[in-house]
Amino acid sequence: MEIGIAAVGGYLPMLRLDRKLAARELAWSGLAMPRTGFRAVAGWDEDPVTMAVEASRALVAMPPRALRFASTSAYFTDRAQGALLVDALALPPSLRTTDLANSRRAGTAALLDALLSGHDEVIVAAEKRDTQPGSAAHLAYGDGAAAIRTGKDPAARLAGHASLTSDFIDRYTSRDHPTPYAYEERFVRDTAVKKLLLPAIEAACAAAGITAEQIAHAACVEPVANCWKTVAKRLRCAAPNHCEALSNAAGDLGAAHPLFGLGIALGAAKPGDFVLLVGFGSGVDALVFEVTAMVPGAGEIATLLTEGEVIRDFVRFLNLTGAVSLDWGMRAEFEQKAQATVLERVGRDTIGFIGGRDSTGNVQFPKSAIPVNPTIEGPEPLEDVRLADEQASIVSVTADRLNFSPDPPFDFGLVQFDNGARVLMEMVDRPSGGFKVADRVRMCLRIKAQNVRLGFRTYFWKAAPVARPRLGEG
Amino acid sequence: MASGIRDKVAIVGMGCTRFGERWDVGADGLMVEAFAEALADAGIGRKAIEAAWVGNALDDINVGNSALPAAHALRLDRIPVTRVENMCATGTEALRGATYAVASGAVDIALAIGVEKLKDTGYGGLPLRTKGVQNDLWMPYGSAPGTFAQLAGAYAARHGIDAADLKRAMAHVSWKSHQNGAHSPKAHLRGAIEMERILGAPMIADPLGIFDCCGVSDGAACAIVTTPEIARGLGRTNPVTIKAVQLSASNGWEMQFGEWDGASVPNTRAAAARAYAEAGIRDPRAELDMTEVHDCFSITELVIMEDLGLSDEGRAPADILDGRYDRDGAIPCQLDGGLKCFGHPVGASGLRMAYEVYNQLQGRAGERQRGKVDFGLTHNLGGSPFNSVAAVAILGRLN
Repeated sequence: MEIGIAAVGGYLPMLRLDRKLAARELAWSGLAMPRTGFRAVAGWDEDPVTMAVEASRALVAMPPRALRFASTSAYFTDRAQGALLVDALALPPSLRTTDLANSRRAGTAALLDALLSGHDEVIVAAEKRDTQPGSAAHLAYGDGAAAIRTGKDPAARLAGHASLTSDFIDRYTSRDHPTPYAYEERFVRDTAVKKLLLPAIEAACAAAGITAEQIAHAACVEPVANCWKTVAKRLRCAAPNHCEALSNAAGDLGAAHPLFGLGIALGAAKPGDFVLLVGFGSGVDALVFEVTAMVPGAGEIATLLTEGEVIRDFVRFLNLTGAVSLDWGMRAEFEQKAQATVLERVGRDTIGFIGGRDSTGNVQFPKSAIPVNPTIEGPEPLEDVRLADEQASIVSVTADRLNFSPDPPFDFGLVQFDNGARVLMEMVDRPSGGFKVADRVRMCLRIKAQNVRLGFRTYFWKAAPVARPRLGEG
Repeated sequence: MASGIRDKVAIVGMGCTRFGERWDVGADGLMVEAFAEALADAGIGRKAIEAAWVGNALDDINVGNSALPAAHALRLDRIPVTRVENMCATGTEALRGATYAVASGAVDIALAIGVEKLKDTGYGGLPLRTKGVQNDLWMPYGSAPGTFAQLAGAYAARHGIDAADLKRAMAHVSWKSHQNGAHSPKAHLRGAIEMERILGAPMIADPLGIFDCCGVSDGAACAIVTTPEIARGLGRTNPVTIKAVQLSASNGWEMQFGEWDGASVPNTRAAAARAYAEAGIRDPRAELDMTEVHDCFSITELVIMEDLGLSDEGRAPADILDGRYDRDGAIPCQLDGGLKCFGHPVGASGLRMAYEVYNQLQGRAGERQRGKVDFGLTHNLGGSPFNSVAAVAILGRLN
């Protein structure tokens, strides 16, 4: 029985920074920085958990045996994001989860471990990394997530693999330096190519019983630009590197980058093609897949690069990436404090968006002892109904400019679900003309409240437009 | 069926402070100011009060919880004092408590007082507050204009009204109240404003501009209520009486059940229907001489006109633009400037409305006097259109 990739998923936040805008704004400084392409920018209420949910939600209609979450920028350091994902995706608590971190290679490491376990698993990697304004990373990095479902009888079988572990420092972050500290590009390129990338790729190809020339598509993480170009030339490999295209269109997604790039590569591949995946960071993971069928989800991933809205204001980008701290006034002093007792009681229903169906069939959120349905006289048990995957329409809405929001305005209103439920909700990914009554919306998990002082956040679902504009048309 | 409280309770004294940015005085001073006016009006001493209801919606803003702030400020003499809070309907809720106490025969003379010290928040607009640790997990934190602004889009969608036309009617609501507020010596905002300025004002919550929003104020107002017999004994030959006080609270239907279209406030309709029945009013358009309604935002007043049955469904914008609710219109609304211009110290507003009707009923409203007034209605609306408490009171004279 062969193991491999059964399906893939990806997510990019809606906003994009056109790097030309940043280059213009920073021209006076003379700083070196990437000047072409786009950087995906997470909303204030997005983080690795919310983006991981978006990337993986289409892959968990049937619960997997295990879930592995990989990120170098997860918010909680002693609260498993995997546990949050189980509840947010309404997966059974018996599912085993693992959080991986501390290396950009965590994404491919998690994938390879899952493949080697031989089980049906979901691997999801997501990043929203802090960067210093003025650094190349501030513009080169992007926010996003990618997910892969492994399984037997796959659409892309694992043909071979190789790994090298090395304390090679191209860049690092630490508790005392939470933004990347990067070393000279030429040193990184020369060393990475020669000592890590070439030997690992050659070993993986050998394990797969192919030569590098047979690789049709590559998803190779490059610690600095043009590594793949050098590697491909040495190996006489003509395959395009889809990770390079991803860097250009959305930025370097960290631990999610190779998995997202693999998704694009699988979408471009045809049955019989060999696809190379390379993860980089404190060493290298190189995996070779043989595509046997169209990989579910792969066709849609490249589309994500072409959708979104370009940020017109550089200061808004600085604000969203935490590069400036604006004085939002006294209204911003309001803090919500979540209580563990309440989260234990209703947290799973909240982050899972679980409402209840009464004996007449009406659905409501949140659940209550006596249903809201006026035809019901007294308390009765409600059947769980997940609202996260239901579509809905706006009943009433406003763009609130008085209430504090880290990225105003604060859109909210009443949302009517097609299944009968009605919920007062925040709205995100606002369309260019704003939200309107009767607009169709879909649900997405976001940060509900951020308590900076206590270092805690809660999550809930918000309503977003069903479709995104094509990039540049929003 | 219950007989109701019509004409069982008379108002013998009322007081109301100047509303506004009262940097000079705290909540205690505001209560003392209103109470002194009411005692003088009633012609009684402090010790005649047998029970009191104090309304305060935001106790954490320099008032304090429980009955004690009022008991201390007014030096009430070990009588039962009850603090009530029902969001923006708090003032009328205090009046309801005092009224019921007298109507039941439990006491002869009771006090209802409402107070708010909003300008001690340090910023404009109402403060943001927790909705409870469980609701905080999912419920959006919209501002007050944010919640009421949603009436506009829903109203336009239901009635097929162009957003610009609706905005013009909303602007007329504010324009009218500014005209009225100019004649109210105790009002917070006393300047008339031109329509163009209202229409071009900065947006607060789409489509509400700054002039679509009421003033956020400090202030206190109070009423001393008693039996009609005692009122006569105090020299009131035809005392002002309470014809009805009704309240209606949401049970989650608007927010959770998929029937409401967001273009009306069902609680206003429920409270109004009960109040009309209690007061014996069959045709409010013909019988009401004036209204003081909860115009926290211009769109709220527009929708209230239909919820109270004063305009046909979908006709409020036209009625407003025709001047039906102007000071010289058929049923003037907010003769004192309303929340919009008199101001909105939340817990005091319901009693401030009653104060204006009380004065109009007695022909004491000075240059605002609307000729002979037989029936006046007050309407308080707390919360948001989708989760509200509505209070309707009707005042008249005993004979």
